[in-house]
Amino acid sequence: MENPEKKPNTRGIWDWFDPRGRNVGGWGFIINRISAIGLTVYLYLHLVMLGKLAQGPEAYDSFIAFAKQPLILFGEMLVIIGGIYHGLNGVRIALNSFGVGVSTQKQLLYGVLGLTVIGTLIFGWRMLLAH
Amino acid sequence: MQNAVSQPKAGESYLLWFIKIVSGLLIIVILFIHFVVNHYLAPEGLLSHAEVVAYYRNYPIVPIMEGFFLVCVVSHSLIGTRSILLDLNPKKAVMRVIDALLVVIGLAATGYGIWLLFAVINWGA
Repeated sequence: MENPEKKPNTRGIWDWFDPRGRNVGGWGFIINRISAIGLTVYLYLHLVMLGKLAQGPEAYDSFIAFAKQPLILFGEMLVIIGGIYHGLNGVRIALNSFGVGVSTQKQLLYGVLGLTVIGTLIFGWRMLLAH
Repeated sequence: MQNAVSQPKAGESYLLWFIKIVSGLLIIVILFIHFVVNHYLAPEGLLSHAEVVAYYRNYPIVPIMEGFFLVCVVSHSLIGTRSILLDLNPKKAVMRVIDALLVVIGLAATGYGIWLLFAVINWGA
Protein backbone atom coordinates (compact mmCIF):
# COMPACT_ATOMS: atom_id res chain seq x y z
CA MET A 1 0.00 0.00 0.00
CA GLU A 2 1.44 3.39 -0.95
CA ASN A 3 1.29 6.56 1.07
CA PRO A 4 -0.80 8.90 -1.11
CA GLU A 5 -0.92 11.84 1.30
CA LYS A 6 2.61 13.18 0.97
CA LYS A 7 3.03 15.39 -2.09
CA PRO A 8 6.14 14.80 -4.22
CA ASN A 9 8.99 17.26 -4.09
CA THR A 10 8.35 19.37 -7.22
CA ARG A 11 11.89 20.75 -7.54
CA GLY A 12 13.57 17.37 -7.58
CA ILE A 13 17.07 17.02 -6.16
CA TRP A 14 17.69 20.78 -6.52
CA ASP A 15 15.44 21.19 -3.52
CA TRP A 16 18.20 19.56 -1.45
CA PHE A 17 20.56 22.47 -2.10
CA ASP A 18 18.07 25.29 -1.67
CA PRO A 19 18.92 27.00 1.66
CA ARG A 20 15.72 29.08 1.69
CA GLY A 21 13.52 28.21 4.65
CA ARG A 22 15.77 25.29 5.55
CA ASN A 23 16.07 24.55 9.27
CA VAL A 24 18.51 22.33 11.16
CA GLY A 25 16.44 19.18 10.55
CA GLY A 26 16.30 19.98 6.85
CA TRP A 27 20.08 20.18 6.65
CA GLY A 28 20.28 16.91 8.61
CA PHE A 29 18.09 15.35 5.94
CA ILE A 30 20.21 16.72 3.09
CA ILE A 31 23.46 15.48 4.63
CA ASN A 32 21.78 12.12 5.14
CA ARG A 33 20.93 11.95 1.42
CA ILE A 34 24.40 13.00 0.27
CA SER A 35 26.09 10.53 2.63
CA ALA A 36 23.69 7.82 1.35
CA ILE A 37 24.77 8.41 -2.26
CA GLY A 38 28.46 8.36 -1.29
CA LEU A 39 28.09 5.18 0.76
CA THR A 40 26.15 3.44 -2.02
CA VAL A 41 28.90 4.22 -4.54
CA TYR A 42 31.49 3.01 -2.02
CA LEU A 43 29.54 -0.20 -1.33
CA TYR A 44 29.58 -1.33 -4.96
CA LEU A 45 33.23 -0.29 -5.44
CA HIS A 46 34.04 -2.25 -2.27
CA LEU A 47 32.26 -5.33 -3.66
CA VAL A 48 34.19 -5.07 -6.94
CA MET A 49 37.47 -4.63 -5.07
CA LEU A 50 36.75 -7.66 -2.87
CA GLY A 51 36.58 -9.69 -6.10
CA LYS A 52 40.40 -9.61 -5.92
CA LEU A 53 40.08 -12.18 -3.10
CA ALA A 54 38.94 -14.72 -5.70
CA GLN A 55 41.97 -13.89 -7.89
CA GLY A 56 44.46 -14.98 -5.23
CA PRO A 57 46.98 -13.55 -2.76
CA GLU A 58 49.07 -11.60 -5.30
CA ALA A 59 46.09 -9.69 -6.70
CA TYR A 60 44.50 -9.00 -3.31
CA ASP A 61 47.64 -8.19 -1.31
CA SER A 62 48.97 -5.85 -4.01
CA PHE A 63 45.63 -4.04 -3.97
CA ILE A 64 45.87 -3.73 -0.17
CA ALA A 65 49.33 -2.17 -0.59
CA PHE A 66 47.90 0.20 -3.22
CA ALA A 67 45.03 1.12 -0.86
CA LYS A 68 47.49 2.63 1.63
CA GLN A 69 48.07 5.67 -0.60
CA PRO A 70 47.15 9.05 0.95
CA LEU A 71 44.40 9.74 -1.61
CA ILE A 72 42.66 6.45 -0.84
CA LEU A 73 43.10 6.98 2.89
CA PHE A 74 41.42 10.37 2.45
CA GLY A 75 38.53 8.64 0.65
CA GLU A 76 38.30 6.09 3.46
CA MET A 77 38.15 8.94 5.96
CA LEU A 78 35.15 10.34 4.07
CA VAL A 79 33.54 6.88 4.23
CA ILE A 80 34.08 6.81 8.01
CA ILE A 81 32.51 10.26 8.42
CA GLY A 82 29.60 9.44 6.10
CA GLY A 83 29.05 6.01 7.63
CA ILE A 84 28.99 7.18 11.24
CA TYR A 85 26.74 10.14 10.45
CA HIS A 86 24.35 8.14 8.26
CA GLY A 87 24.12 5.32 10.80
CA LEU A 88 23.53 7.51 13.84
CA ASN A 89 21.13 9.80 12.00
CA GLY A 90 19.32 6.68 10.79
CA VAL A 91 18.81 5.64 14.41
CA ARG A 92 17.41 9.11 15.15
CA ILE A 93 15.04 8.86 12.17
CA ALA A 94 13.97 5.33 13.15
CA LEU A 95 13.24 6.45 16.73
CA ASN A 96 11.26 9.44 15.49
CA SER A 97 9.38 7.23 13.02
CA PHE A 98 8.07 5.17 15.90
CA GLY A 99 7.20 8.26 17.96
CA VAL A 100 10.29 8.19 20.23
CA GLY A 101 12.14 11.44 20.91
CA VAL A 102 10.06 13.51 18.48
CA SER A 103 10.02 16.53 20.79
CA THR A 104 13.81 16.41 21.22
CA GLN A 105 14.75 15.63 17.62
CA LYS A 106 16.79 18.82 17.20
CA GLN A 107 18.90 18.00 20.26
CA LEU A 108 19.24 14.43 19.00
CA LEU A 109 20.56 15.74 15.69
CA TYR A 110 23.18 17.82 17.49
CA GLY A 111 24.06 14.67 19.45
CA VAL A 112 24.45 12.78 16.16
CA LEU A 113 26.82 15.47 14.85
CA GLY A 114 28.85 15.41 18.08
CA LEU A 115 29.14 11.62 18.10
CA THR A 116 30.13 11.70 14.42
CA VAL A 117 33.04 13.97 15.25
CA ILE A 118 34.12 11.78 18.21
CA GLY A 119 33.74 8.53 16.22
CA THR A 120 35.64 9.98 13.28
CA LEU A 121 38.51 11.02 15.53
CA ILE A 122 38.71 7.57 17.15
CA PHE A 123 38.48 5.46 13.97
CA GLY A 124 40.32 7.99 11.80
CA TRP A 125 43.20 8.24 14.25
CA ARG A 126 43.39 4.44 14.45
CA MET A 127 43.39 4.18 10.65
CA LEU A 128 46.17 6.75 10.22
CA LEU A 129 48.26 5.13 12.96
CA ALA A 130 47.82 1.70 11.38
CA HIS A 131 49.32 2.99 8.13
CA MET B 1 11.43 20.42 11.95
CA GLN B 2 11.46 19.67 8.26
CA ASN B 3 11.52 16.00 7.24
CA ALA B 4 12.23 15.01 10.81
CA VAL B 5 9.67 12.24 11.09
CA SER B 6 10.30 9.59 8.47
CA GLN B 7 7.32 8.23 6.57
CA PRO B 8 6.91 6.52 3.22
CA LYS B 9 7.02 9.14 0.49
CA ALA B 10 4.65 9.29 -2.47
CA GLY B 11 5.34 6.22 -4.60
CA GLU B 12 6.97 4.28 -1.77
CA SER B 13 5.11 1.41 -0.10
CA TYR B 14 4.96 0.98 3.66
CA LEU B 15 6.63 -2.42 3.25
CA LEU B 16 9.67 -0.97 1.44
CA TRP B 17 9.91 1.87 3.96
CA PHE B 18 9.77 -0.64 6.86
CA ILE B 19 12.44 -2.87 5.26
CA LYS B 20 14.64 0.21 4.81
CA ILE B 21 14.33 1.12 8.50
CA VAL B 22 14.85 -2.43 9.85
CA SER B 23 17.74 -3.26 7.47
CA GLY B 24 19.36 0.06 8.42
CA LEU B 25 19.28 -0.83 12.11
CA LEU B 26 20.65 -4.34 11.44
CA ILE B 27 23.46 -2.85 9.31
CA ILE B 28 24.60 -0.65 12.19
CA VAL B 29 25.04 -3.64 14.50
CA ILE B 30 26.75 -5.89 11.92
CA LEU B 31 28.84 -3.06 10.46
CA PHE B 32 30.22 -2.27 13.91
CA ILE B 33 31.35 -5.91 14.33
CA HIS B 34 32.64 -6.05 10.72
CA PHE B 35 34.56 -2.82 11.14
CA VAL B 36 36.14 -3.72 14.49
CA VAL B 37 37.21 -7.21 13.37
CA ASN B 38 38.29 -6.40 9.79
CA HIS B 39 39.88 -3.01 10.32
CA TYR B 40 40.32 -2.14 14.00
CA LEU B 41 41.85 -5.40 15.28
CA ALA B 42 43.86 -6.09 12.10
CA PRO B 43 47.52 -5.16 12.85
CA GLU B 44 47.88 -2.87 9.80
CA GLY B 45 44.24 -1.89 9.48
CA LEU B 46 43.55 -4.37 6.67
CA LEU B 47 43.67 -8.18 6.60
CA SER B 48 45.90 -9.96 4.08
CA HIS B 49 44.49 -12.63 1.73
CA ALA B 50 45.82 -15.46 3.93
CA GLU B 51 44.32 -13.86 7.03
CA VAL B 52 40.91 -13.45 5.40
CA VAL B 53 40.87 -17.10 4.26
CA ALA B 54 41.96 -18.37 7.70
CA TYR B 55 39.47 -16.13 9.43
CA TYR B 56 36.54 -17.37 7.31
CA ARG B 57 37.53 -21.02 7.74
CA ASN B 58 38.24 -20.88 11.47
CA TYR B 59 35.08 -18.97 12.38
CA PRO B 60 32.13 -20.24 10.25
CA ILE B 61 29.87 -17.63 11.84
CA VAL B 62 31.89 -14.93 10.07
CA PRO B 63 30.92 -15.79 6.45
CA ILE B 64 27.32 -16.32 7.60
CA MET B 65 27.34 -12.88 9.23
CA GLU B 66 28.97 -11.32 6.15
CA GLY B 67 26.33 -12.92 3.88
CA PHE B 68 23.53 -11.57 6.06
CA PHE B 69 25.27 -8.18 6.11
CA LEU B 70 25.46 -8.24 2.31
CA VAL B 71 21.71 -8.90 1.95
CA CYS B 72 20.87 -6.10 4.42
CA VAL B 73 23.24 -3.54 2.91
CA VAL B 74 22.25 -4.25 -0.71
CA SER B 75 18.53 -4.06 0.16
CA HIS B 76 18.99 -0.86 2.17
CA SER B 77 21.09 0.83 -0.51
CA LEU B 78 18.74 -0.03 -3.36
CA ILE B 79 15.56 0.96 -1.50
CA GLY B 80 17.35 4.17 -0.50
CA THR B 81 18.41 4.78 -4.11
CA ARG B 82 14.78 4.30 -5.14
CA SER B 83 13.70 6.91 -2.55
CA ILE B 84 16.21 9.38 -3.98
CA LEU B 85 15.10 8.67 -7.56
CA LEU B 86 11.52 9.37 -6.48
CA ASP B 87 12.70 12.94 -5.73
CA LEU B 88 13.13 13.34 -9.50
CA ASN B 89 9.38 12.74 -9.92
CA PRO B 90 9.70 10.07 -12.63
CA LYS B 91 6.70 8.90 -14.62
CA LYS B 92 5.15 5.61 -13.50
CA ALA B 93 6.37 3.78 -16.61
CA VAL B 94 9.94 5.00 -15.96
CA MET B 95 9.64 3.98 -12.32
CA ARG B 96 8.63 0.46 -13.37
CA VAL B 97 11.82 0.18 -15.44
CA ILE B 98 13.88 1.56 -12.54
CA ASP B 99 12.27 -0.95 -10.16
CA ALA B 100 13.12 -3.82 -12.50
CA LEU B 101 16.71 -2.56 -12.83
CA LEU B 102 17.10 -2.24 -9.07
CA VAL B 103 15.84 -5.80 -8.57
CA VAL B 104 18.32 -7.10 -11.16
CA ILE B 105 21.18 -5.13 -9.55
CA GLY B 106 20.19 -6.43 -6.11
CA LEU B 107 20.04 -10.05 -7.22
CA ALA B 108 23.32 -9.74 -9.14
CA ALA B 109 25.16 -8.07 -6.26
CA THR B 110 23.86 -10.60 -3.73
CA GLY B 111 24.64 -13.56 -5.99
CA TYR B 112 28.13 -12.22 -6.70
CA GLY B 113 28.79 -11.60 -2.99
CA ILE B 114 27.68 -15.08 -1.96
CA TRP B 115 29.77 -16.64 -4.75
CA LEU B 116 32.72 -14.62 -3.46
CA LEU B 117 32.20 -15.86 0.11
CA PHE B 118 32.36 -19.47 -1.12
CA ALA B 119 35.38 -18.68 -3.28
CA VAL B 120 37.24 -17.41 -0.21
CA ILE B 121 36.18 -20.32 2.01
CA ASN B 122 37.23 -22.86 -0.66
CA TRP B 123 40.45 -21.07 -1.66
CA GLY B 124 43.20 -23.63 -2.24
CA ALA B 125 40.95 -26.53 -1.20
